[in-house]
Parts: sequence; C-alpha cells; structure tokens
Amino acid sequence: MPAGRPGPAAQSARRPPPLLPLLLLCVLGAPRAGSGAHTAVISPQDPTLLIGSSLQATCSVHGDPPGTTAEGLYWTLNGRRLPPELSRVLNASTLALALANLNGSRQQSGDNLVCHARDGSILAGSCLYVGLPPEKPFNISCWSKNMKDLTCRWTPGAHGETFLHTNYSLKYKLRWYGQDNTCEEYHTVGPHSCHIPKDLALFTPYEIWVEATNRLGSARSDVLTLDILDVVTTDPPPDVHVSRVGGLEDQLSVRWVSPPALKDFLFQAKYQIRYRVEDSVDWKVVDDVSNQTSCRLAGLKPGTVYFVQVRCNPFGIYGSKKAGIWSEWSHPTAASTPRSERPGPGGGACEPRGGEPSSGPVRRELKQFLGWLKKHAYCSNLSFRLYDQWRAWMQKSHKTRNQDEGILPSGRRGAARGPSR
Amino acid sequence: MDLRAGDSWGMLACLCTVLWHLPAVPALNRTGDPGPGPSIQKTYDLTRYLEHQLRSLAGTYLNYLGPPFNEPDFNPPRLGAETLPRATVNLEVWRSLNDKLRLTQNYEAYSHLLCYLRGLNRQAATAELRRSLAHFCTSLQGLLGSIAGVMAALGYPLPQPLPGTEPTWAPGPAHSDFLQKMDDFWLLKELQTWLWRSAKDFNRLKKKMQPPAAAVTLHLEAHGF
Repeated sequence: MPAGRPGPAAQSARRPPPLLPLLLLCVLGAPRAGSGAHTAVISPQDPTLLIGSSLQATCSVHGDPPGTTAEGLYWTLNGRRLPPELSRVLNASTLALALANLNGSRQQSGDNLVCHARDGSILAGSCLYVGLPPEKPFNISCWSKNMKDLTCRWTPGAHGETFLHTNYSLKYKLRWYGQDNTCEEYHTVGPHSCHIPKDLALFTPYEIWVEATNRLGSARSDVLTLDILDVVTTDPPPDVHVSRVGGLEDQLSVRWVSPPALKDFLFQAKYQIRYRVEDSVDWKVVDDVSNQTSCRLAGLKPGTVYFVQVRCNPFGIYGSKKAGIWSEWSHPTAASTPRSERPGPGGGACEPRGGEPSSGPVRRELKQFLGWLKKHAYCSNLSFRLYDQWRAWMQKSHKTRNQDEGILPSGRRGAARGPSR
Repeated sequence: MDLRAGDSWGMLACLCTVLWHLPAVPALNRTGDPGPGPSIQKTYDLTRYLEHQLRSLAGTYLNYLGPPFNEPDFNPPRLGAETLPRATVNLEVWRSLNDKLRLTQNYEAYSHLLCYLRGLNRQAATAELRRSLAHFCTSLQGLLGSIAGVMAALGYPLPQPLPGTEPTWAPGPAHSDFLQKMDDFWLLKELQTWLWRSAKDFNRLKKKMQPPAAAVTLHLEAHGF
C-alpha cells in the first residue's frame, strides 16, 4: 500500500494507472475488457512441484500492435529479478525460463513468478507451489470433559513443514457401527487439535485417526481406539479454602468441593494438592489424596504465605479400570501460617485429623499425647481439640524454656521432646 | 429564487418559501433533540478505528501473498477490480454530493466490500488470518449498521439490493491463483481508500449537522419598502 494518504485534491487528480493498457489473459478464459494492447500468458499456470524438482516455464506475449516481441521481457520470482542466464528467447514472442532444484515455497500462498515487460510493468503471473507431501500424523491424544465431549490433539508428521498448506481432518467412528464422522471444530487447544462437542456414545470404543492432505498427496495416521470412559477429565475442584489450624504455626487446612459435574459419579475420585511458598517456584505435591475433600498440610514454615492448588482425577468412573485424566489445577488460594521463630521442614502427606496413626514422627508425638491425655483428659470427644491445645502448649513451653533446638531434622517436629513433667 | 431589490412581493414570496421549507430541515432547530449528530460522530469514529484495524490486517495478508504484493509501491494491473466500488471521485462532484447520495454511496460501497471480503476468507489462508478477517468483517458490519442508523435518523431509505445484482466475486473456474492474488490486493487497497474517504464524508456531514451558533438571519435588502 502506498504510504501517505491522498487529499481530496490528489484524489481528483488521480489518473488510471499507466499499466491499465497492459492486460493479463487467463489461460482458458477470454480476454478481459480492456484496451486490447499487450497480453501475455505464463505456462504452466499455478503448478505444484516437489522440492528439488526443476521447472521450465514460458511467457508468451500476444498483442494487437505487430512487433510485440519477447525482446526486453524479464522474470522475477517473489519480487527478485532472476539472473538473465536462466532465461532465453524461444521465438519472437516467447521468453523461456529454466529453474532447477527448487526450494520449498517462501509462503503458503505460492511463490510469485512474474513476467515483466521492458518497462517493468506486469504482463502475467503464475503461483508456484513447491513443497512436500504430508507425512503421517502421530501421537493422537484425546480427553473427554465430563463425558460430554471429546477433544483430540495430534502431532503433524515432519513437524508440519511441508511448505504447502496442509489440511488436517480428524475422523472418528464407533468401532462396530460403521459410519465415519469428521470433526468440525479445529484449533481449539492449539494448531493441531479438534473438538467434538456432542453426540458421543459411551460403552463402545471409538476409532480415531487424522488425515493430512495437501496438493502433493495425503497421509493417514494410525488408528487410535479408545473408550470415552477411560479418558474422562473434569473441572478443577471449586471452592478451595485454605485456613489456619488454630494457632498451629506449621499447619494449614485445605478444604474443597468435589467437582459438581461429576459429583454423583466420583466414588473413587483422586485428588492432588500442590503448594508453594509465595516467592518460590518449587511446588510440593501431596499425592494420593483419595476420596476426601479436605487435607491438612503440616511441616510448613511459620509466618509464611503459601499458595495452594487442588486438582481432581475421576478415577474408575463407571467402573473404568483406568485412571482418568487429571483436571486443571484450581485457581491458587493463598493463606499464611501464624508467626513463630522456629522454622519447620516440609512434609509430603496430609496430616491425619486426629488419632489416626500414620507416619513415624506423628505416631511418636501422638503416643506422647495419649500419655499426657491419660493424666489430664476428662472428655474423649474433645481429643482433637485437646491435641491441638497440647501442641500449642508444647510450642509455648519450648519458647519459655528457651531451648536452642536449631533446625530439626526432617520429619521430626518436636516429636523428640516429651512433655516435661 | 431571486431577490430583486425593491420588490416587496418578491421579498414576501421569499420569506414564505423559506418558512414553508423550514419544517423539512431535519432535526436542526428542535430543542432537546440531539439529532443525528452523535451517530454521525460514532460513524466517523468507526471509520477511523476500521482504518487502523485494516492497516494491520492488510500488512499480514499481503505478507501472506508474498513479495511483490507486500512491497511498498506495488501497482499491478487493475483488472477484475473493475467491479469494485470506487472511492476515487472528482473533487467538485464529491463536494456537491447531497447528504442522501453521500450516505447511500457509502452504504452501498461497504455492502459490496463486505461481501467480497467474506469471499476472501479462503481455504488456503492460515487459521490466524481467517480469524483476523472474520473479526474485521464483524467490525465492517458494525460500520454498515452505523451508517444505516444515520440514514434512518435523517429519514433516508436504505438502498435495497436489487435481485440479480448481488456482487459476485467468483470470477469463474478459469481464474488463476495469481490473478486472484491481484484481485485480493486491489480489494484491500480499495477498502483503504474508502475508509479514508468516509472519514472525510462523515466529517463533512458532522459539520453540516452542527446547529449554527446564531439564529438563522435573513439578509433582506429593503429598498423603499
């Protein structure tokens, strides 16, 4: 587009471009309306070629005024004038061109080969499509959101560089029911993806494959067979809340809700929690959180802000033997532990709510607690709260005793000390 | 009508004629009615916005067509582009366009251009280009609606497309790919020129629609009246 804008005066003074007398002729079509001066034809018109092949082209000039010759004509390819040694005058009205060992097309719309008159004006043009046939797409992976739809992704063969526009088509059919279907919504999660929004059947496997086609040929991926129920994913758990546990400086309580879309089916859901300190990029992961909607993180640093996320896997839905696909992580929720002087090492499991013996250090601690309880408890229903009270008491008593414990070895948070009585 | 000095009947006739035509002046002197002014302003703003959007769309599209199409002074023969609505117009003709004609020309031009643009969205272009084109078409549709709004506010009928004269950009199966590229080039160029012109069209309309600062005064020469 020319730079600068013409004012009204310039607009009125604008004359038809001087090139107008020079017309192009379609290969098969009749001459277009025009002044009937020079016309030219390039042959071949818009050819498709393999990389490395050669091309012989001709530009034939026709025209009413006799004496229109091939003299002075020249070629450009993608705007660049071609060296004269590649051209030769075949006869009075035809200029030939020989190109060898062609590279892949500079743009997918085709290389622009143009035949120019002596004065530089365009007489004719031809688009060259130089590339490779597609290779087999592979690595098809699919997932279903809440058993309602199916999204698939694949990798194009040859990493996609065919230099030609390549059309990918995802096809699917029910294994024993014959009819091929074509996916219609492309590029939903990246350039090589497709989304099937509805009418999906359960309990019968699907056969899925990808067909790649371009001007030079086509290729088909291997067929992937899958059952919708084996590739189910769901939304991340909503309503994730993280809160402090009383005055405990190294614990936070995480609570969430089972993803509503599959709420009635998630009998065996698995969850994963990850958390990190505000300034860190290293996440700690709590794995194997089965079928519960809360977890207590322990061994945290006091007085620190933590970001927490939860995700869900609809494991074994409708009796599927396989794990499903993990959902996205929930939006990060932040909370901070209460302040203290003593740092604590990290843990990797949910702390039991009370009374359940789990890992070594907690068991030892609980043992001590129960010993203490025998002397002081009078209401076993409140054991959980009493446990917390005891812990808080433990921490306070350490402070007052002013013991210099230093950094405790991992996993032993005050378990080594018994209550001093 | 002509005012002959000293002709009191002539003056009366003039006054009557002026007063007779006054109610037909659209939406100027009615108090409290903003008139078509705000929608003309909006249309003007839209043309500027579209012009900006087109600059980036055209840049991307011409790069897709490849050199020499994306070179600054590229000026190929203008062939199939004969059917495109032309923005270029003689200055005096442009100045003397009445409001209805000015608006109608704009409306018809963009209707055709929108149709051609939709055809431009061809298979071979990249997904990203198709998205940009679709987005631009939507904005252009908005401009059409805005022009229609101005025409309605001024009481002008919308031009109806005559059956059988639907602009078809399908030039036939013999149309070569290179010719198609040239047609695409001219479409974008013409679209750009129209947006430049429309900005001036609507600016002119805006100035016309502004209520005059003082009341309309009639200068009458009174000789022996």
